[in-house]
Amino acid sequence: MNVLEARGVSASYGDTQVLREISFTVKKGLLVALLGANGAGKTTTLKSICGLVRPSAGTVRYDGRVISGLPVHKVAELGITLVPEGRQLFPKMTVEENLVAGSYLKKAKEKRKENLDRAYAVFPRLAERRTQMAETLSGGEQQMVAIGRGLMQSPDLIMFDEPSLGLSPLLVEEVFRVMRMLHEQGLTIFLVEQNVRQTLRIADYCYVMENGRIVQEGNGRDLESDPRVREAYLGF
Amino acid sequence: MELLPQALMDGIMLGAIYIIIAIGFSLVYGVMHVIDFAVGEWIMLGAFAGFYLTEWTHVEPMLLLPGVFVVFAAAGYLFQPLIHRVLSGHRGNPLLMGLVFTFGLGLMFRGLAQTFFGFYSHSIPSRFSNGSFFLQGGGFSTTVSSVRLAGLVYALAITGILHYLLKHTDFGLGVRALAQNRDAAGLMGVDNKRTSAFVYGIYVGISAMTGVLIGMILSLSAKMGPDFTIFAFFVVVLAGMGYLAGVPAAAFLLGIIQSFFLIYLDPGYTLLAVFAILYTILLVSPRGLFGKGV
Ligand SMILES: Nc1ncnc2c1ncn2[C@@H]1O[C@H](COP(=O)(O)OP(=O)(O)OP(=O)(O)O)[C@@H](O)[C@H]1O
Ligand SMILES: [Mg+2]
Repeated sequence: MNVLEARGVSASYGDTQVLREISFTVKKGLLVALLGANGAGKTTTLKSICGLVRPSAGTVRYDGRVISGLPVHKVAELGITLVPEGRQLFPKMTVEENLVAGSYLKKAKEKRKENLDRAYAVFPRLAERRTQMAETLSGGEQQMVAIGRGLMQSPDLIMFDEPSLGLSPLLVEEVFRVMRMLHEQGLTIFLVEQNVRQTLRIADYCYVMENGRIVQEGNGRDLESDPRVREAYLGF
Repeated sequence: MELLPQALMDGIMLGAIYIIIAIGFSLVYGVMHVIDFAVGEWIMLGAFAGFYLTEWTHVEPMLLLPGVFVVFAAAGYLFQPLIHRVLSGHRGNPLLMGLVFTFGLGLMFRGLAQTFFGFYSHSIPSRFSNGSFFLQGGGFSTTVSSVRLAGLVYALAITGILHYLLKHTDFGLGVRALAQNRDAAGLMGVDNKRTSAFVYGIYVGISAMTGVLIGMILSLSAKMGPDFTIFAFFVVVLAGMGYLAGVPAAAFLLGIIQSFFLIYLDPGYTLLAVFAILYTILLVSPRGLFGKGV
């Protein structure tokens, strides 16, 4: 079953077109990845799914319903969560307040306590720092809060925008471990990453983006053995 | 020397009024990115509402406060989308547009008030105006009218309620989220338009209530607005733009400074003197008293 389906989506910032009629699908329970170089349009793709960018053409459907054009909070109400690039925490709130902010919506509110326990179980470091102001956290800790806050939303579809960016190798492992765990629990995941090697290993299906277009797709193994992908993203 | 305790009491009283005005003003700035130069006129309109209601109904004005709040909050809630529209035009600088728009709004309210309510100063009669308390201690003594004391209690209560609302409710969580990161707040499901309209409504309602109080304690007239706008702005800048926790200290400081100057200076120069102090503080600490503004 297709949970998320984009058909011919285009988007622009002012006069510059950034997405050129891209189409992709994310099936229920799968981990689908979107790869591509800097500036390819990956973040813009995620933003046009969640309502932060309004597509100039094409449609995005979620569970069969058109969601392109909905305001961002309406998309969130449908159970779609974005863990955004650059964390985007609430800087003057504590770790715990940031997490609780994730359960702002009614559906998530009911599971606030349970999800908070789960977030602390996934990232014990956050439990130690629950009263620390978000702006004073290290980059890695901030990323944990961003992921934890996304989980607090009790999402049906969670999208990650470069969650491993700027993290130490150990933390990258940690983030991938969490994503694998969520995947095993049956969550539908749409992952944007530059860490191609690891991503190909955990993804059920991948799309590759260049200059606002989807130029290639396939499962991880196919792409890993594809000479063009090897050359462009794996460096051998 | 015997004026000192009196000035201090007056200053605390003024400061308390400035706190509630400035908190609303600061919230609106934080959430909507609007510096609302019509704040003084919302106060003025509220004061006149209190004045006429008291005249017609002969009800104690203190008891009218909740009603005034509800009516003005509803007006602010309904009015906010217009400001939102003005700001979200694609051309121009939103902060500047907000300033110009609310400035014009203030001028319009003031003009209309002068036409319909006249140029005279009034005051709202209250049962509390007659009584007073005599305070004594450390060789000093002073009298405080009970209406001023009631005003102080009111201001502290409103501050407490707002604090509770912001820090301990999900509505407040949404408001703070919006102020700190609008996109992220949207991703959490916070409805920007609706929450902003609520914040603006609460702010207008509180400003109007405070107007009634000012009409009881001091006086009211169609021209009263700009002084309060200027002080709201001073307090918020002194507290640090967007740093809500700095507001009470900044408000008391400015209130006390103002009432001391009122004793020793011609009233025409008080504002200048307060401004000079504000300016000096900003020279030393550009981001407000606590260095935590933007
Ligand atoms: N707010 C904006 N205004 C104007 N142009 C933008 C804006 N955001 C992104 N762009 C441009 O759109 C293009 C795609 O940006 P996008 O952020 O989607 O890329 P990306 O694939 O996420 O890149 P990265 O891997 O570096 O995060 C880039 O050329 C970028 O400069
Ligand atoms: Mg990006």
